[in-house]
Amino acid sequence: MTGVPIRRGDLARLAAGLVALAVGFGALAIAQGPGTSTTYAGHSSLTATLTVAAGLALVGAGLVTAFDRRTARIGDLAVLAGLVWFASVWVGWDKGPPLTRSLAMLAAGFTFPLLLHLALAYPSGRLRGAVARALVWVVYLETAIATLGRALLRDPFFDPNCWANCTDNVFLVRSLPRLARGIEVADRWLTAAAAAALVMVLGWRLLRDSWPARRALLPVALPAILLAVTVIAHAIALQRTPLEDPSDPVFGAIFLIGCVGVLLLAAGLVWAAIRTRVQRRAVARIATSLGQAPPPGSLQAALARAVGDPKLQITYWLPDAEHFVDAIGRPVADPVAAPGRAVTTLVRDGRRIAVVSHTAALPDLERELGAGVRLALENERLQAQALAQLDQLRASRVRIVEAGDSERRRLERDLHDGAQQQLLALSYDLRLAHTQAGADGDAPTGSLLIEAIDQAQAGLGELRDLAHGIYPAILGEAGLTPALASLADAAPLPVQIHDTVEGRHPAVVETCAYLLVAEALDDAAGRDASHATVSVMKDSGRLVVTVKDDGTNRTATMIQLADRVGALDGQLAVEPTRLRAELPCG
Amino acid sequence: MRVAVADDTMLTREGIVHLLRDAGIEVVAEAEDAQGLLHQVRLTRPDVALVDIRMPPTHTDEGLVAAQAIRAEHPQVGVLVLSQYVEPTYALRLIQEQPERVGYLLKERVFDIATVVDALRRIVDGETVIDPTIVSRLVGRRRRQDPLAGLSERERQVLGLVAEGMSNRAIATRLYVTERTVEAHVTQIFQKLRLPESPDQHRRVLAVLAFLRA
Repeated sequence: MTGVPIRRGDLARLAAGLVALAVGFGALAIAQGPGTSTTYAGHSSLTATLTVAAGLALVGAGLVTAFDRRTARIGDLAVLAGLVWFASVWVGWDKGPPLTRSLAMLAAGFTFPLLLHLALAYPSGRLRGAVARALVWVVYLETAIATLGRALLRDPFFDPNCWANCTDNVFLVRSLPRLARGIEVADRWLTAAAAAALVMVLGWRLLRDSWPARRALLPVALPAILLAVTVIAHAIALQRTPLEDPSDPVFGAIFLIGCVGVLLLAAGLVWAAIRTRVQRRAVARIATSLGQAPPPGSLQAALARAVGDPKLQITYWLPDAEHFVDAIGRPVADPVAAPGRAVTTLVRDGRRIAVVSHTAALPDLERELGAGVRLALENERLQAQALAQLDQLRASRVRIVEAGDSERRRLERDLHDGAQQQLLALSYDLRLAHTQAGADGDAPTGSLLIEAIDQAQAGLGELRDLAHGIYPAILGEAGLTPALASLADAAPLPVQIHDTVEGRHPAVVETCAYLLVAEALDDAAGRDASHATVSVMKDSGRLVVTVKDDGTNRTATMIQLADRVGALDGQLAVEPTRLRAELPCG
Repeated sequence: MRVAVADDTMLTREGIVHLLRDAGIEVVAEAEDAQGLLHQVRLTRPDVALVDIRMPPTHTDEGLVAAQAIRAEHPQVGVLVLSQYVEPTYALRLIQEQPERVGYLLKERVFDIATVVDALRRIVDGETVIDPTIVSRLVGRRRRQDPLAGLSERERQVLGLVAEGMSNRAIATRLYVTERTVEAHVTQIFQKLRLPESPDQHRRVLAVLAFLRA
C-alpha cells in the first residue's frame, strides 16, 4: 500500500479501534469483577462474551465499512455506536472512579440514537427524505435534553429505581428526584416512539423499493428493526417492573436479543462491504471480458450482471438527432429517475456519452466505471450511432420506393380519369356525327367516321394497357394473387402459378413482388423460355417469391429489382434461370 | 325496358342516357355514385342497372360492390357493369357472386349502342354477358399443354361465344347455322374438354370461364 497517502480520518479511526479494544476489554474486566450485579454483562459469562463481542463487532464492521470512502460516514457511525455500546457496562463499575461512571451514564443514552441514524442513513451515508432527517434530528435533540437534565438534576442516591449506579453523578447541580424521574420516563417513551417510527420508515422502504435496492437494504434494515423492537419491549417491561434486574428472565431475554441484533447489524455491514468490493471488481473486469468485438447490448447485459440489477439500462445520446437510443440504435424515451431507480450520466471530454438507469441502491456508479468500461461505452455509443443512421437510411430507401409506387398509382388514375374520359367523349361525338351522316345519306363521311371511331377505340385499348402496365388497379384493390393471375393471363409465355399466399400484405411488398414477377416473365420471354413457374410462399414473416423458367442463361443483372428488394430489407438471388426474392412483411 | 344509369362522369352519363333514349329505352334513374344508385333502384325498380365499375370514393371496384348489393336486395333487377379493366378476375367475381342477370362489358363499348342494347336485352332475358375482349384474353392465354389445341377452328369460335354468355340460339344466329348444329358443336367441345354439360346457361358460362382460367 505504498504511495497511498494516509488521511487524518484514517488515523482517527485507527485510534478509535485501539480505544475500542481497551474499552471493550475494560468492560469485560468490569463485568467479571466489580460489575457482577450492576450490569447485564456481569450476569453470566454468556452475557459478558456477547456484550463485548457485539460492541467490538460493531466497531470492527465500522472500520471495514469506513475503509471505503463512499461509505465512510456509515462506518464512523458504527464505530461511534460500538464505543458508546460499552458505556452501559462502565456505568456499573461498582466503586469505580465517579467521573468515569458519570460520563458512562450520560453516554449510554446515545447508543440507540446513533444506531437509528446509521440505519436511516444506510447505504449512502446521507439521509433520504424529510421524514428520516426529521426523525434523526428529533431523536438527537431529545436525547441531548434528557442527558442534560440527567446530568444536572439526577442524584442517583435518591432514585428509588436505580440499579447500575446508585452513588455517582459528578455533574449534579441540584437534586430534583421527582423531576429527574419524570425525565427518565419521558426519555424512555420518546425513545420507544422513535424506535417505532424507525420500524415504520424501514418497513416502508423495504416495501416500496425495487428488488436490487431491497436486497442491499435488508442486511442492515432487518437487524435495525430487531433492535428497535427490543427498545420498545424494554420500555414496556420497565413500565411493568420499574426496578431493572438483569436476573429477571424478561429483561435478560430482551438484552440478549439486543446483543444478537447488534451482532447481525455488524455482520450485515461487513457483508455489504464485501459485496460492494466483489461488485466493483466485476464491473472493472467487464471491459476485458467483453472481447474484441462485442455485439451491441452486451455491455448493458454485463453491467447488469456485475451489479446484480437486471433492470439496468444503458442509453446513448445522439447529439445530431437529439434523442436517446439503445445499443442497436433504436430511439428510446429519455431516461428519468423513478422511486428506487437512479440515473447516472457519464460524461467524457465534456460530452454526454451514455446515461445508465439503475437501482438507487447503487451509489455513485460513475466512480465505479473504470477507463476500460468507459472506452467500451464510447465504442458502443459509436456503434449505436452508426446503427441508428443505418436505420434512417433504410427508412428513407423505403420511403423513396413508396413514393415511386404511389406516383405510379396516381398516374394510373390520372390516365383513367383524364385521357380516357377525353377519348370516350371523342368517340361519343364521332358516333353522333356518324348517325347524323347516316341520316344525311352521306356515305363517304360515314365510312371516314367509322374509321375514326375504330382509331378512338384502339386508342382506348392502348391507353388501358398502358395504365395497367404502370400500375394494375387490381393489385391495390384485390391483392397479389389476383394480380398475378391477371399477369399470367396476358403473359407472352405459359405461366404456372402455385403456392400463392392468400390475404393481403403491405402495399409496398405486394407491388415489389408483382413487379418482380412481371419483370422476370418479360426477361424469361426474352431468353426464349417455353414456360415459367411462379411461386409465392410465406416463411416466418417473409414473403418468398420465386420465378423459374426454362430459357437460356440470364445475362441481365436485374439491378433495379435488386435495389427495390434491398430497399425493403429483402434479399434477391439472381440465378441463370431462377429469381428468388425474400421480402420481410412483418 | 326500364334502365338506371350510374357513372360519376357527367359527360359519359349524359351521353349514355341520350343514346339509350334514342334507342327507345326508358332511362328511369341516373346516379353519380353507388349510394345514389342503390337509392334510385329502390325507388324506381328498373329492369337493369348500368353501372360504372370505378366510382367514388376509392375509384376501384365500387361498381362490383354495388352490383352485389343490388342483386341481393332486388333479385329481379339485372346489373351490367362497365369496366376500364380487362380483368378476368373481376368478370369471374361478378358472375360467381351472382347466379344470373349480370354482365361485364368494357367501358369503350358504351357508345356502341347496339352492343349495349343487346347486352341489356340478354340480361333481361336472364342471360349472362361477358365482354369479348375478356373472353379472347382467356382463350388466347398461353398454355403449356393446350387443351384447346384439340378443338377445330369453328369449335373454338363456339367456345368463345359460349363464354361470352350467348345462348345456342344466339350463337346460331351469329354464325348463320342452325341451332342443332350449335348444339352438336357444344356437346363435342364439352366432351373434348371433359366439362360437365349443364342446361343452365349461367353455369355453362361459369364452367367454361373457370376452365379457361385454370
